[in-house]
Amino acid sequence: MKRFEVLIRILFIVLVAFIAWSLRARAVEKLSIDFDEDDYLRAGQEYTHLIRTSNWSGFLDTNYRPEHPPLAKIVIGLSLLSAPEKDLIRDAPTTSEPNRYLPRELVRPARTTNAILGWLTVLLLAIVNPVAGLALATHTFTIKYVSQIMLEALPALTSFITVLAYLQFKKKEKTNWLITSGIFLGLTAASKYLYCVVGIAILMDWFLEAKSKEQIKTFFRQALLWGVIAFAIFFIANPFLWTNPIGRLQESVFYHAQYSSSAEEVNRAGYPFWQPFNWLFFSPIAWHQDVFLFAPDIWITLLAVIGLARLWKRERVYVLWMGVALLFLLFWQTKWPQYIIIFTVPLSLSAAEGIASLWNQLLEWWKNRQVQRTTINKNEARRAIPWLVPGLIAFAIFTIFPLIFQVIVSMTDFNSASIRDGFQGGIWRAFWEGITGQIPISEWDGSRANSVRFTGLTSYPFVFNEIANGNGSGYSILFFNIMWAVVSVILQGGLGLGVALLLWQRGVKLGKFWQALFILPWAIPEMIGALMWFNIFQEDWGWLYLAAEKFGADSFFGVFTRNLENSPSLWLITFLLPALWYGFPFMMLAASTGLKLIPKEVYDAASMDGANAMQTFRYVTLPLLMPLLLPAIIVRGIFAFNQFYLFQTFYFLEGTLATLSYNVFNPTGYFGGGQFATSAVINIITVLILIIFVSMFNRWSKAEEGVVHA
Amino acid sequence: MHKISTLKQIITQSLLTLIGLFVLLPIWGMIRLAFDGSLKGRPTEFRFFPKEWSLTAFLQVLDRPYQSVEFSVLLKNSLIVSFGAALLAIVLGISLAYAFARFRFPARKQGLFAILLTAFLPPVAFMTPLYILLSILQIRTTLFALVLVYASFALPFCIWNMRAAFQAIPKEIEEAAFLDGAGDFQTFLNITFPLALPSIAISGLIAFLMAYSEFAIGWLFVDKADNVTLAMSIYAIVQSQYSGGAQPWSYLGSLVIIISIPVIIVFLIFQYTLLERMLFGSAE
Repeated sequence: MKRFEVLIRILFIVLVAFIAWSLRARAVEKLSIDFDEDDYLRAGQEYTHLIRTSNWSGFLDTNYRPEHPPLAKIVIGLSLLSAPEKDLIRDAPTTSEPNRYLPRELVRPARTTNAILGWLTVLLLAIVNPVAGLALATHTFTIKYVSQIMLEALPALTSFITVLAYLQFKKKEKTNWLITSGIFLGLTAASKYLYCVVGIAILMDWFLEAKSKEQIKTFFRQALLWGVIAFAIFFIANPFLWTNPIGRLQESVFYHAQYSSSAEEVNRAGYPFWQPFNWLFFSPIAWHQDVFLFAPDIWITLLAVIGLARLWKRERVYVLWMGVALLFLLFWQTKWPQYIIIFTVPLSLSAAEGIASLWNQLLEWWKNRQVQRTTINKNEARRAIPWLVPGLIAFAIFTIFPLIFQVIVSMTDFNSASIRDGFQGGIWRAFWEGITGQIPISEWDGSRANSVRFTGLTSYPFVFNEIANGNGSGYSILFFNIMWAVVSVILQGGLGLGVALLLWQRGVKLGKFWQALFILPWAIPEMIGALMWFNIFQEDWGWLYLAAEKFGADSFFGVFTRNLENSPSLWLITFLLPALWYGFPFMMLAASTGLKLIPKEVYDAASMDGANAMQTFRYVTLPLLMPLLLPAIIVRGIFAFNQFYLFQTFYFLEGTLATLSYNVFNPTGYFGGGQFATSAVINIITVLILIIFVSMFNRWSKAEEGVVHA
Repeated sequence: MHKISTLKQIITQSLLTLIGLFVLLPIWGMIRLAFDGSLKGRPTEFRFFPKEWSLTAFLQVLDRPYQSVEFSVLLKNSLIVSFGAALLAIVLGISLAYAFARFRFPARKQGLFAILLTAFLPPVAFMTPLYILLSILQIRTTLFALVLVYASFALPFCIWNMRAAFQAIPKEIEEAAFLDGAGDFQTFLNITFPLALPSIAISGLIAFLMAYSEFAIGWLFVDKADNVTLAMSIYAIVQSQYSGGAQPWSYLGSLVIIISIPVIIVFLIFQYTLLERMLFGSAE
């Protein structure tokens, strides 16, 4: 049995390796030339020339695009040795368009070399975890950037080996592995600095490990050795530094800081701080239609979210790797898509854990399903019928039927052009004839005909792409919607809890007054509250802008409003503030209700044990309060996910799925308006997402429990 | 736990004042607009207080706030729609709520999940199909259609909450009546329903408030000025201002205040009950 499993595993790894290579080989051939490929090809050519002419001392002064260390470029240079010699690619500024006319004879070997390195990464990962290997093998973003003449492939591989060697060292405590890890970290640094985030993650994990084993001293000694090795290798693999180490190192490091804050193309891109997440929801399939067969990127991301907790338990360092990388990218102002390659390896591992976790839950559900078949009292069920029938009819007519009808609409192309036909039975006709096969499925293409056509499920992928990544624009409504729900609820919960704690202190004066005042925003209908804030943030006559006019461009108001226009990150605040204002009273009430339920004796015990205020809060109040607060958080989270009136009033039509759906539907609205079927598709996607949220609520709040015991 | 020290009291009070300012600032912005008699259209300069205190906007708004429609008509429409929707949601949902509260039957859990899920769906998710269905029935632009639409938004929420209300009533009381020979229906009508009435009324109140303050979806359905509700008229004013309309912004401010006051009173009175309802009974 054991041997059989090993065999299956090996077969699976071979399969993954095969898939990985065929996808990468395809990408090498088919990908169009991208930004920067000309630069790195030129950099490679310079090294090729040096090697061909045996001009070894030339290495000391050669590093085209010196902001990046030379190792990955040297590898490109090596790959060109077998290719015919060509003129040096011309020097172009970083802002220029991609050079479409690179010689094919050079592009192919350079790309292939990178693809081989990318393939090796997959192979290694597949050996660690075959499912994760499959994820990385098919991740289109990774495929793209390791198969082009970019600097990603080599450091992606070496950073992974750095971690693997470290993990071996952790397990076996052999210094050889420690040295290996240091060497590969040095090689990583000599290829591209960004990939060194892996080193920070390793240090964190190492420190935590040492702390739990109380071996801090050993940790410092070993980590120092590791770091020295890494630095030495970095220096050895970086001949450009040999003659003028400090000056050139400074130059290249400062270049990045300056580039990120002032480069023209960075400013022009105008990405919000959460852009890395947008890339995670994105796939370059939108840019290169015929290169990629399918794009699992967004699913890998979603699975990775599910698998995080499991991965943390299994191997903390991968989660830290992802966390450090993401945190860095959130703060770093340059947000190019290729940067996410620095953590697609742990992302794939997390996705694999996500699959495992889902699988386990499915198994558990299947087992429980057999067990939970409680006997039903037939008499009681019979008595329920007269109550159920009228209610079910009403519920079916008012709630279920519209939802089913919505599914039917979503399988047609019903829109404002076919409104007449649709209202006179066209929807039913198209659906019926389509579902019974009397008419063929007309592929959904967004065109508008006078009569309703049956499109089956063909509009779903298109609409989903639009929601998930703006069909290639790199802006994800879906991610914004989720982030909105999470961030606004955290803010509301934080302020609500804070205020409740302030008011809960014994002897606070005017407590009743403050509470009544703070409830006001909750009592004001959301639309009106949004109007009140609009009255502040509106661009022509909002308070803020009028104040900027009055007090001048250099006043706080002037600077603030000017920054607001240029920064999508700051602009988010104009929504978060109203949401916080509107939502915190509810959380305050929920928290203060919860606080009242905590028995006073608990605090007497805590104070007798000598706990200070912070400790009491951390170990007494919060754990007792959390079960009461969690349902409130989820309820508000769901409401925030569905937030509509705020965005509608502020006229931000892509805020949430609900807002988008409304404005796609509205005959005088967005995208030409009157896309009834598209709106239906968005709504059904919303329903599917909410099924997940409501299941969570159900589990956390045990809302059903009261029923079971009734 | 000891009473807090004077220093802590001062810190607490200043923090609370800060939050109080955050709460009041946008509200004050509207009040300033509402009482400013000098506004001819949109505000053109930064002011913290009105330039000329005046009540003319309120008087205007209480007469004809939107186009040539009288305030009383708008108020009447609002009340018809909100009462109608709340009543319909309660009447239609009550038997299902009772069934789920009292009896065990097959697929009960799945049914509860369906109710909870639909209660959490955004109104927009029902808007699309209802618009098409009511258009097919050719009643889309009537007030009655608005009643149906808002009732449909509120129905799952009302069912869920009324179920909780029935559950809160001890089963023993019903059983006593049952032993005295009363049938299921009689027991419900004479014992359970009167006891649960206050809670049911709160469910209705929430449905009422939802319909009372809804505007965006209303505007998709209704196209005649005579069928517009108060909340819808606010949005219409905003829209017309956006396209350079002529009404002074003080109208908007005063209408906003007039509409909000009754809701605020309701919330202040029922705050804890409303909180519990809006937590979907999970705080039980």
